[in-house]
Amino acid sequence: MKTLSIAAALALAALAPAPADAALKVVTTVEGLASLAREVGGDRVQVTSLSRGIQDPHFMDANPTLAVKLRQADLLVDIGLDLEIGWLPPLVNQSRNPDIQPNGKRRLTAASAVAVMEVAQGPVDRSMGDLHPAGNPHFMSDPRRVARVAAAIAAKLGELDSGGAQAYQARLAGFRSRLEESSARWQAQLAPEKGRRIVAHHNSLTYFLDWAGLRAAGYLEPKPGIPPPPSHLAELVGVVKAEDVKGIFLENFYDRRSADIVAKYTGARVVAIPGDVGGFKDERGVLDPKDWFEYMGALVKLVTGALR
Amino acid sequence: MHWLVVVTVLAVNPDLPEPTSPARETPEEKKKLEEEIAKELGTPSLRAPPPSAPSAAPVLAGPAPSASAGSSGTGQAGGSPFARILLLPDISAVGSGALAWNSLDVETASPRSDPFAPAHELQPIFQELELGVQAVVDPYARADIFLSFSPEGAGVEEAYLTTLGLPLGFQIRAGQLYAPFGRQNQQHAHVWAFVDRPLALARLLAADGLGGPGVDVSWLAPIPWFAELHLAYQSLAPAFDPESHRGGLARLIQFFDVSDASTLGVGVSAARIDEAGEDASRDVLGADVFVKIRPPSGRSYLALQGEVLLRRLSGSEAAGGAGDVPEPPGTEWGGYAQAVYRDGPYLAYGARYERAPAATGGPEHRASALATWFPSEFERIRMQLSYDRLPGGSNGFEALLQLEFAIGAHGAHPF
Repeated sequence: MKTLSIAAALALAALAPAPADAALKVVTTVEGLASLAREVGGDRVQVTSLSRGIQDPHFMDANPTLAVKLRQADLLVDIGLDLEIGWLPPLVNQSRNPDIQPNGKRRLTAASAVAVMEVAQGPVDRSMGDLHPAGNPHFMSDPRRVARVAAAIAAKLGELDSGGAQAYQARLAGFRSRLEESSARWQAQLAPEKGRRIVAHHNSLTYFLDWAGLRAAGYLEPKPGIPPPPSHLAELVGVVKAEDVKGIFLENFYDRRSADIVAKYTGARVVAIPGDVGGFKDERGVLDPKDWFEYMGALVKLVTGALR
Repeated sequence: MHWLVVVTVLAVNPDLPEPTSPARETPEEKKKLEEEIAKELGTPSLRAPPPSAPSAAPVLAGPAPSASAGSSGTGQAGGSPFARILLLPDISAVGSGALAWNSLDVETASPRSDPFAPAHELQPIFQELELGVQAVVDPYARADIFLSFSPEGAGVEEAYLTTLGLPLGFQIRAGQLYAPFGRQNQQHAHVWAFVDRPLALARLLAADGLGGPGVDVSWLAPIPWFAELHLAYQSLAPAFDPESHRGGLARLIQFFDVSDASTLGVGVSAARIDEAGEDASRDVLGADVFVKIRPPSGRSYLALQGEVLLRRLSGSEAAGGAGDVPEPPGTEWGGYAQAVYRDGPYLAYGARYERAPAATGGPEHRASALATWFPSEFERIRMQLSYDRLPGGSNGFEALLQLEFAIGAHGAHPF
């Protein structure tokens, strides 16, 4: 049996394209996770993201060409909480990589590392919209949670590549101190706006607002994933006026017509924000965040700019 | 078939080292302890759980990173503890019904799959209720079961096991399954862009989808693009034949990223199915193309799809088909080409052209137009108008208004 598996391994090695180097192949579902994996993995990892920052991660296609990337993955890092439920499971099955199945030893679901908000309490059905019953999956814009995700990635990388465990921890420490520094700076920028209210398209800023000390006055979507009827927008106009909301924020992959309508009747500003790392661009073409720090910095800048 | 045996042997020995994974060191003590425990339990160390196997159950898994999750913000570590705790499989139901009007007596003039109405009658039709029960069986396999309830009765549409852990890119599906032939044959009706099955698929492949009990072995080639080879052996009831016959199938499907926004899929399929009568057989060859053009940041896309089928009935008196509906003997071909434009999340429009052998011989041409409204991801209402031109100059017109809905946790569909 052993000879057979060696022979098989040789056959495979002969068939497979030569690996660039011995780097651990990390595949992530979103660009934000890829950026964290690069931060803590450094040269020891080779990171690919399945989706791009300009895409809505809820509505990716289960394109089989992505399964090819998963086939050779040494580690798959996903967000979890059903964010990728519409496309990731068939790709993982197609990839024939048993270790990246849920709970597999080469799978890290980032949600398992963080405290999840908006966990459904009590019965849930789709009359409440297309919600995530296990909780809100948009935690990558909260530096506190990102620190935990980075720690989980470093721990997982150390598990899979024990030779590099120390290096990963060292890089993690570096990342954390950078994060603390940046966090303090961002918080200082946000400080004058504390307690202010904003309107968002989807409940994708819940964690960011919690961290920033801001609050959502309302959402363009009446329920997650449900398009706003005029009655809802009319109500929102009232809310925006009553609560002196200055900014309406939406990821740049959403249709901004509804936001523009509310803005027209209230004078609030509509601000297109990047959905993730790589999620260029706002209309003025200023933003093209290349890593998580740039993404977060852009978000803080856009929010403070609009509220001022 | 030697390699198949090899694969099977590998499958039941999950402890074999994975050739692709890089060497990983577990602390020696741990390994030693593992071996000792294995001895104590009387398990040959060969059978010890492999380090590469997916961890068995969440409770047995090593400390998750969540163990370190603290109190930043509010909420619960890892999300809802109730989401999967009951170990229930994912259960879903998909229902469909239509309002149909036909100018032809479809059953004799243009036999096809549902839905259709008696000539010149506006008829409400219950099409199908599909009940899906899907779950992972164990760390080595998952099961997908689809029961179908329709006016013809209840049946097992599909019920198969899929391996998750075979090495070398192999995967085996076994059970009741749709044959890996072409693109649309393997899709359930609620995935189709158009309301009905193309005539060519109904007449040259099978009226209700070519499928049956059997096994499908597939291999994902270790190359930079997606190339999957299927070999299947199944018991199949082709065309309008109520009887099942043994059949062997082969399919190669490849997908390429042509650009940032477009993907091309090309497949070729071949099937040989026994026919009643000595040395009688049915050979079917197929080619399918699928192109999806979707700018990455949007929800709109254009999907082009086409299939061509060539069917040959050969040997003995069965060369006219043994089914309920007469089949033109000898060699026949047919196909379809369709374009669907998805206009944002809520609307889609499509056009389809078909060619199929008519029941009486000669080619039948059909053109259809489609408009779809998706009130949400879980509901769609479609209007399909078709114009049929039969050999001999007669024409047919069909109008279908169809409603479809899905509830529960229904697994995501392949591309």
